[in-house]
Parts: sequence; structure tokens; C-alpha cells
Amino acid sequence: MRFWDYYRGGFYQPSQPRQVKGGIKAQTRQGAFAKSWWAKRWIAVLESFNIGARLGRGKRYAREGQVVAIEIEKGLITAVVQGSRAEPYRVEIGVRTLSGRDWKRLAEALGKQAIFTARLLAGEMPENIEEAFQSVGLSLFPHRRADLKTECSCPDWSNPCKHIAAVYYLVGEEFDRDPFLMFKLRGMEREQLVALVSGQRSRKGGSGGRVATRAPRVESVEAPASGPELLASEPRAFWGEPRGIDPGGADVRIPAVSAALPRRLGNFPFWRGEEGFLTSLEVIYRQASPIGLRIFLGDSGEE
Amino acid sequence: MIVLHAGFLEDWLLLWGERPVAAEGGESRGLRNTTPRHYVHDAGAAALMEALQGARVAFKPAARHIQELTVWLPTRGEHPVPSSGLIGEEPPEWATETTLAPWSITAYPLLPGEAVELLCLCVGKRTLASGVVVGQDLGYWTTALRFAGSLVARQQYLPGLTREEDGYRARWEPIWDGGDGEALTALARLMPPVARALAGPDLTAPPSISAVSCLRRFVASAVDHLVRSTARRPLRRAPMAGKRQPAFVSVHDAWMYALSSPDGTVYGELEELARLAAQIDEWRRPLAVSATSPVRLCFRLEEPEKQVAPVPQPEGVWFVHYLLQARDDPSLLIPVQQVWKGGRKRITALGGDTARLGEYLLAALGQAAGICPHVEASLKGARPAGHELDTRGAHEFLTEKAMLLEQAGFGVMLPSWWTKKGTKGGLEVRARVKSPDIRASEGLTLETLVQFNWEVALGDAELTKEELETLARLKEPLVRLRGRWVEVNAEEIRAAIALLEKRASGTVRDLVRMTLGGVRPESGLKLSAVKADGWIGQLLERLEGAVAFEEIAIPEGFAGTLRPYQVRGYSWLSFLRRLGLGACLADDMGLGKTVQTLALIQRDWERNGRRPVLLVCPTSVIHNWRKEATRFTPRLPVLVHHGIGRSKGTEFTRAAHGHAVVVSSYALLQRDLAHLQGLAWAGVVVDEAQNIKNPETKQARAARALKADYRVALTGTPVENNVGDLWSIMDFLNPGFLGSRAEFKRTFLVPIQAARDPEAAARLKRLTGPFLLRRLKTDKAIIADLPEKMEMKTFCPLTREQASLYAAVVRDLEGMLESAAGIRRKGAILATLSKLKQVCNHPAHFLGDNSAIPGRSGKLTRLTEMLEEIMEVGDRALVFTQFAEMGKILQGYIQETFGREILFLHGAVPQHQRERLVERFQREDGPPVFVLSLKAGGTGLNLTRANRVFHFDRWWNPAVENQATDRAFRIGQRRNVQVHKFVCAGTLEEKIDEMIARKQELAEKVVGTGEGWLTELSNKEISEIFTLREEAIGGI
Repeated sequence: MRFWDYYRGGFYQPSQPRQVKGGIKAQTRQGAFAKSWWAKRWIAVLESFNIGARLGRGKRYAREGQVVAIEIEKGLITAVVQGSRAEPYRVEIGVRTLSGRDWKRLAEALGKQAIFTARLLAGEMPENIEEAFQSVGLSLFPHRRADLKTECSCPDWSNPCKHIAAVYYLVGEEFDRDPFLMFKLRGMEREQLVALVSGQRSRKGGSGGRVATRAPRVESVEAPASGPELLASEPRAFWGEPRGIDPGGADVRIPAVSAALPRRLGNFPFWRGEEGFLTSLEVIYRQASPIGLRIFLGDSGEE
Repeated sequence: MIVLHAGFLEDWLLLWGERPVAAEGGESRGLRNTTPRHYVHDAGAAALMEALQGARVAFKPAARHIQELTVWLPTRGEHPVPSSGLIGEEPPEWATETTLAPWSITAYPLLPGEAVELLCLCVGKRTLASGVVVGQDLGYWTTALRFAGSLVARQQYLPGLTREEDGYRARWEPIWDGGDGEALTALARLMPPVARALAGPDLTAPPSISAVSCLRRFVASAVDHLVRSTARRPLRRAPMAGKRQPAFVSVHDAWMYALSSPDGTVYGELEELARLAAQIDEWRRPLAVSATSPVRLCFRLEEPEKQVAPVPQPEGVWFVHYLLQARDDPSLLIPVQQVWKGGRKRITALGGDTARLGEYLLAALGQAAGICPHVEASLKGARPAGHELDTRGAHEFLTEKAMLLEQAGFGVMLPSWWTKKGTKGGLEVRARVKSPDIRASEGLTLETLVQFNWEVALGDAELTKEELETLARLKEPLVRLRGRWVEVNAEEIRAAIALLEKRASGTVRDLVRMTLGGVRPESGLKLSAVKADGWIGQLLERLEGAVAFEEIAIPEGFAGTLRPYQVRGYSWLSFLRRLGLGACLADDMGLGKTVQTLALIQRDWERNGRRPVLLVCPTSVIHNWRKEATRFTPRLPVLVHHGIGRSKGTEFTRAAHGHAVVVSSYALLQRDLAHLQGLAWAGVVVDEAQNIKNPETKQARAARALKADYRVALTGTPVENNVGDLWSIMDFLNPGFLGSRAEFKRTFLVPIQAARDPEAAARLKRLTGPFLLRRLKTDKAIIADLPEKMEMKTFCPLTREQASLYAAVVRDLEGMLESAAGIRRKGAILATLSKLKQVCNHPAHFLGDNSAIPGRSGKLTRLTEMLEEIMEVGDRALVFTQFAEMGKILQGYIQETFGREILFLHGAVPQHQRERLVERFQREDGPPVFVLSLKAGGTGLNLTRANRVFHFDRWWNPAVENQATDRAFRIGQRRNVQVHKFVCAGTLEEKIDEMIARKQELAEKVVGTGEGWLTELSNKEISEIFTLREEAIGGI
């Protein structure tokens, strides 16, 4: 087919992909993908492979939402990409994982500076983490062709093809949000890594304490739940006594910067909404604040 | 009468009500444990709807949603215990023990929007309308809603997705971080159990949902509603597929749409939604780590070692210390070195295991590193304890980083000279004024122009221009000057230098405002003081209260004496009047605001040319003013501008100019504004100034539109406690002093009420203090001046209806007098006397027809106004009447108006009940008002809780009245007692009162025979006494 295509048109003409609704759309609308240095490092690896115009098409695929699904496991990214054919293509990107012994050596190196663990725990990639890797003769980012194994079910002879590139870019963007994904690809889950490095640290600190292996569940952000509580039957207590109550709580000020909580958490993983996630939230948070303040003040609303 | 309740059950706020009488056929017989019996006091559907209408809610309640529900109530034997005496008698306590039992009631489920609207209406109110009482539980939910409002204002919530039986719902969920979790628990402790006593069909046990869970669910649903309704302009229209389900291209769009849709349902495949829920959890994970940690990271900025140098010092090494703080005990602070070392003992005190603490600490430092590069640098070491800063860095930390760190949830501790408001140092400006040479203060007005010089100081030291230039060259933001750190910025220094180079001028009014902190000099520098000598200096000192103003002599034409504190009040009024500044006299009721004001008017009349003063008051006190003016300032001609026959236009202007005081009502202030506005009044006095506290009302606008040399506001309610009410009154008194309403809201109202900013509160106090005088009868200095018992007469008008009834009764008698004689004549006179008293009390009392009560009696209107003030300051009152029927009317009306239980003692109350009533009234938290019939309650009882006594109608026998008064004025009474005797002006009540006062022998006769002496008068005398004087009709 490729052969005939080539000859019939006399030159190579890229086929138009079928339009997809609700695919994963890159958050960066133009310019370079990825903001963080570690995501840039990831993308730099792809761009070093010299696949020419496929890079640009991959970018466009990523921005237009041709990638329908991405899943990341230890050492493997699988994705579904809608190309020009009815049947979407399957993409796989394999990354070489590190051995247990490698990880142990690495943990020792990371324990020497608090910044590594601190940054990682805060959801950021320590700037010079590569140095720590290099000090034990390893590399966090795949940098050789051999570190990556890419495959696509599309008929393009080039590997990586534009579909692989599109997935690659989107994953890069995802690294912005969660650097742990890189470790996951290298074979280490977030919890394991945290346990490894903080265990390393506390052993060095001499406490030898138990290592937490599980992050707290999200529900515990709720106020402490409480068990059943019986109703008072004494009439005056039951009906309540007249008194003015203050709602208590913190001093009420409208924050200068809106949507601080969602901002702290960052963009949503693989966002596929029409509008930007944080942008939409920010508008709502900013508009809701004065209404909340008015309710708090018991204001009927006249200005 | 209906008491509204609200319970929270399964995410619905359900409104129900109690009323005093059992509904028709209300008690249905049902078997226990199968169907609960009907609660006898259940208000029922119609009453609920009526109450909502009465409350003027904007929504249309859908009656079809009304449903039968179960509520578990305290029950003795077969009898549920109602919420208060307003509803019914408590079943006797000795009968059996109190247990909870299920009762069936009628409830209306409020939609979230309806709940918000209704609760907003209830804020700070006891009744929503006459006879519509806000129950404690309903009142509680208003507070809970305000709490939800504060979470929304502070943006403490996140979008979420919850799994429900029929699918997934998108919800905005509050985040219970640190302080809010504690506030929730604290607020839950105050929840009255009735608020969670509603139950579904399960009748085996009362509901056992904890107050915390109940409150949390309520707040969560309120937050969700408030944010959702904000976002209601949907992010985008939902594309529709098929008939019902909108179709979205991605599950994320479906989620976003559902976050702003009315019911929050997210459309999509269950499997995909489950994945989305997991993603949301993942997204929120970092928050969970810090929210569940028992500690938080704190940064403490420490100053360089102290060194005393004579010249400004910019050098020094600052240190930011890292500490861990226990969340449940913020005083417990541990340097992070301890965690690095693993010091087990102190770490156990923090309540976490070492590894978890280490993980949290590192994660937190990692987050902080993103905000503050110095933290990042310190993390290059293995175990950082903190980081150093130079002075510039310290300044940056103080002004920027500290705030950012705090916003991100870290603790920040800064030196007290920085955090304490007003001690930050920095450049200050003073204005030095030289008083112009005006010999006496007489010629001065606020508009007098004066010159002043600026001075600039840093801390305590005055700086010359050269020193300022040196500082500018140092280019350091923080400078240690004489052992104290002060912040300076280049712009301020430049502004200060510029200021020193020019001379300034302004009016005395400008100076007054500057002194009180109302304005800043244009440079934006902080004005610390206005220094003036001569008369301006004296003026400013007095205004600030630093120096007592001189007491001035009582004006010649004033008939009567003033108590020492009244002389002070009158002198204060005169002082401000002289300056043309408005004054708010807010003395407690009964301390004599009227006489102090009259003394002021008299003095002004004598000294400043004879121009009239306009006195605006509620209709019910017009006569009182006229009476008091006649008594204390007999030489001042008073014109009552009221009633149908009042003059208008030029006629009115001419009439007004012939009088010293023109008394009118708030109602006419708006209606006749055109006439009133045309005059240049000497002064305007508004009595019961709370009538203009809402600046939007017509009377408040009208009051502000009047032209006058001076303005006085009188009120007995503590206006200074309500920041919101203050603006309107102050803007009437001193226009522009507090800025526009919007400015006031921004600079005072919101900071004080929402952010609890003590500095704003202090500033407001300083700005308004000089114009506000409030003395309490409990003040030590006042008590010494007061007699233990004060008696005063309160003159009330008749309504038009009362006046025509009165005239009819008198006509009947006149016919009788001509024909009857002897016993029949006597009987007719006494019967008429009684009828006329009834008419004066209330038309419904005279007619005995159970007709409507509000707005038909001058006396009752006045009593209600006075009781409102009394309840506001927490006083208690006895109200005596000689008619049991009137007592009943009073009890019912006062209860309905204030929504509080009012006791009533009359002849038919059995002995043991009397004791209970007395005992209840005497309790700390007893009812505020006790109505007693003169005969039943006049003797033997000890009611020392009351410090106010009202005689609603008169017996004219001082002995009987005094005996009654003495119920309150007895051993055990530690406060002054004020006695108010109500008299309808122009009626027999007033005339008999005058006669007794005039004729001593008559007074003695009265003591001997009660009212029998009246029958001995001639027909002509009788006719004179009974006939209505023209002025009596208030035309209310």
C-alpha cells in the first residue's frame, strides 16, 4: 500500500487522520511541549532520533486529540491513536527498567542531599538528580535507542512514527505534572520509591523507625468521622437554648490569588476537556468568593 | 403563632412548625411502633405555607412536596414536651421520666436554593414576621450556612465526584484543613439535638447520626450549592443525544458540565466514571498527605544579634529557623534538627512516627523550596535546620515570602515589631499647626482656613531633610535605628522630602478628620499626629477626649435641674454644636436624653438667634416631646407638625419660623420633605435614630437631605455594636466623614466583620468615638447620680380609630347624664370611665371582638418600641394593667412580635402556678417580660429580676400603683428601677392626672376612695374631663 501510494502520487503525501471527539488534547497549544526540565529531557530524547517531519505531525496529533487513551505501567506505555484508518492504531513504548540492586545504590546516592527526597515528595524532579544517577553509573532518562522499544500498528515504515511521537509528547506533558511517572517507567512505583529513599534517610539518621509504605487515603482529608451520637432527651437541651452563635473558623478574606487549592494540585492528569481545567476553575472560584462573603456576612445583597 | 423548625435528613433541610393549639382533629390514634401518633402541636401544611408567605420569601414553595415525617421528641408518658411555653405547657416533671418517642409531623423539604434564601432571611432574627418565630434549630442552620459561606469566600473546596446509588454526581466538596476541621467540631457541639431528630420510617430507635456528621453534610451541600449556582452559567451548553442524556465528547467535559448543572449528575459509562473518580483521587493526593499530618512546617524569622549603634544600621545576619508545630497544640514547636536526629521523646509528643514525620518534613520542605529559593539552597545539605538571610533578604521574606508560605499552608512566625499593627516603624508624618490669631473661640468655624507645616519622623526621632537624604542613599529596606528595626522605602523617603519642602493649608474640618485618622495626606505617608497649639490644639484634644471639655451653665430659660451626668451630656452636645459637628447621644433609656437635648435647644435659641429646630421622632412619642418641652423649656414655642390639619408650603414656613421647635414624625419626614427641606433649620434632631440606620430607606434619605447648622441623633440602642448600622447615622450627622457607603463597606465593614481586623475596628472607633456618647445606667459614675427609683410619664397618642370610639362613648354618656340621677348616674359614670380606659388601651379591648391587634393603639405601639430597646440591652420588665382581658392581649401580641415567651399572671391563675411563674421569671434565663393584672399581681410577689415597670393603664391611686411597682423595687434589687406610667394625651387619663397633681386634697381623696370621687363631680366637670382635646388624635 505504501509502495503504491508513493508511486501514484509521485511524492509522499501524509494521509488525513479521522477526526476524534474527546481525545486527549495537549494542554500546550503552541510552542514547545512540556515546561519542566525533566519533561524537556524526555522529549529531547525523542527529538534526537531524527525522524524529520513526523515530529511535527506527532505534535499536531497530540494537540488535536488523536490519542484516545494512554496507560502507563512499569516499563511500558500503551496507547490508542486514531489515524486515517477506521481502526485506531495501538502504540507501545517500552522503557528499560532498573534492577533492584541499581535502585538500592541509587537510594544511597539520593540520601546524601535532602533536596532530592524533598523535591520528589513535593512532586518535583530535583534539578541535579541526574548527577546522583551518574554517580552510581546509571541514568534516569532513557538516552540510547536501546533504552526504548517503540512499536506501532500503523503501516508507516518509520519507527518512531508520528503516532508514537504523539503519545511520546503527551506523556512528556504528563511528566510536568507528575515526575514519579518517570520512576514508574523505570520500574519503581511512587510508594516504593518514597519508602526506599526516606527509609534510607532515616536509617542514616539512626532512628531505624518503621517506614511508611502507603500514602494516606484521600478520604481522610475529610474532617474526622464520628460514630453514632445519641440525642439528648432533656427538653431544654433538646430544643436548644436561645443564644447567638458565631460560625467561628478562620478570618474571612477573599484570597488575592484565586483557586489556590487546585493550583497547588496542578493540572488534571491527561485532561480531555474542551476548556483548560485550571482556567475554568479559576473563573468559578473568583466569582464564588464574593457570594460566599455575602452569605457569611448575612448580607441580603443590597449594595 | 408558629415556631419554625428545620431538621437535616439525608441531604435535605426539612422545614416544619409548631403551633400552640392542637390542629382540628389533630390527634390521630395510631399504635406505637407502627405509625407514630401525630404531634399535637404540628403546625400542618397550610400554616407552613402561610408562614413562608408571611416571611416574604421570593420562592414559591411547592405545597405538593409536603410530606409526613417522623420526629423524635422528648416525651413524658403520653405527652411530648413542646419547644417552649410559647407553644404549650410542659407536662409536669414528676409525672414520669422523659424519654424520646417518635411523633409524626408535616414537613416541607427545602430545595438548596430555597434553604439558602430562607436561612439568609433568618440571620440575627427571632421572628420573620409577627407570629412567625425562628426556632433554635432553624437559627442554628443560619450559622451553619454562614460557615459554609466563609469556606466558599476563602476558596476552601475542590471539585469532586461521588458515587451514589444511581450513578455518579459531581460535587464541590469542602476541604477540612486544619482550622476549619476544628471550627466544624466546635460548631457541631452547639447543634441543638432537634436539628437532627428527624427520621425516616424506621421507628425502632431515634436517629443516631452524630452532630459532626450531620453538620458536615449540611455544610457540604451548602458549599456545593453556593459554588454550583455561581457556575450556573454553564461552561458550555450540553450537546444532547437522544431524548434525555446529554452527550459529551469526553468524560472530563461531562464532569465539568455536571459541576454546574442543577443536579450534578454525570453522564457516561460507569466504568469510565469509576476511572475518573480514581484520577480525581490521584490528583488530590498531595493534599491528603499534608492534611493528615499531625504537624506542620513553620518558618521563624530571627533577628541578628542586637548591637547598639548611633547611626542607622543595615547590616546583620538574619536566620530563618525551620520548626515543626503540632496541629492540635500549636504551642508545641520542635526544631527540625530533632527530627533529623530522630529524637524519639519529643517527636512522640508531636504524635507521629519518625518515618512519617521525616516524609512529611521533606515533602513540605520540597514544596516550600518552590516558593522560596533560600529553602531550596539549604536543602543541598543532608539535614538543613534553616537558612541565613541578609537584611535585604529578610525584608523580602517579611514582605513577600512570608505571605506566600502562609497561603500555601505553612506556619510563619515573624518578629513582633513587624506583625503588631502600627509598630512597624516606617516614616510617619505629623502636621504642626499654628492657630490663627482669633482671640476667642466664638468666631471659629470648621471652615476656618489654617496653615500648617509637615514634620517627618522615623520611630520617635524627628528627621531633618539631610538625614532623610542619607537614608535614601543607604538604599536598604530595613534599617536599625536606635535598637529598633524600621522599614523604609525609597518612594516614601522621596515623598517625605517633597512634603518637607512645601507648606500646607486646610480647613479646621480637614484637621479634625486628619486627627481622627479619617484621611491621609496626599503623599500616602502615614499621618501619626496633628500637633497644634492655641485654640485649635484645645479643640482637637477635647475632641479626642484627651482633655475634658468644660461644663457649661444650664441655660437661663431651662426650667428644671439636670443631674451631673446630664450636665456633662448637655455640655458635650453644646461643644459639638458650636463646631457644627453632629452628635449621637446614645444613653440608656431613662437617663434623660430628652432633657439634655432640650437644654441644648434652649441654649442655642438664646444665643444664636431664634431659628427653629426640627425634631423628628416616631409618631408615638410626638406628644411626649411636646409635654416634656412644655415642662422643661416653657419659653420655647413648640409646633407639632402632624395630622391632617397640618400646614404646608409658605404657610408652614411662616408657622415654623414663629416656633423654636417643630416636632414631626418619620412618616411625614418623607411625605412632607419638600416643605421641610425648604427651611434653613438651626438644628435637626432625630429621636429613636435607629429609624434611619438603613441608608436605603426613604426616611434615612430624607433625613440626610435636610439643611441645618447642627445635627443630633438620639437612640437608646447600642448603635456602636453594629458596624453596619453606624454608617447611615454617622453620615447623617457628619456627611462624608466615614466616606461613601461603598468605601465604608470596603475599609471598615468587611474587614471588621469578616476578617476580624482589630486595626480597622480601632480606627473606626477613633473616627466615630468623638461623636458618640453612650452612658449606661450601670456605669458607676451614673449610678451615683441616679435615684433608686425613677418615675416618668409616657404620653401616647390615640389612633384615629381610638379617637372616634372615644368620642362615641363620651356622646353616649352625655345623653345619659341629662336623664339619670343617683345610683344610675354613678353607675353610668363609672361604666363610661372604664370604657374610655379600654378605648385608650386598645380598640380590641373595648370591643372585645378578638379583632386584629397591630397598629391600632398608640399605647401598645409605644410599649412595643420601648420593650424592643429593653430586650436589646437585656433588661426585664413588668407590665401592669388593671384589666385581665388587656393582659391577655398584651401577652399574645408581645409574644408574636418578639417570638419570646411572655408570662401572664391574673386572678384566675391558681396558687401553685403563680409560684411557678414567679420562679420562672426570676431565673437567670427567664422570660424578658411579665404581664400582671394589678389585682392579682399587685401584692406579695417578689420580682426583683425586673428593673423596668410599666403601668399600661392608670388606677390613679398612688398607693395601689406604688405597691405594684414595689414588686420589682424590693430587697434584693441591686439596680435602679425605672417606672413608666402610660397616659393617653388629651384624654381623661391626662386630665385626671393633671387634676390630681394640682389638687392636694383630691389626691388624698383618691387614696381613700379609689375612683368613686369622680361621681361626685358636676355634669359640667365630668363632661370637661371626659371630652377629648383636639390634639389627642395622633392620626397614626
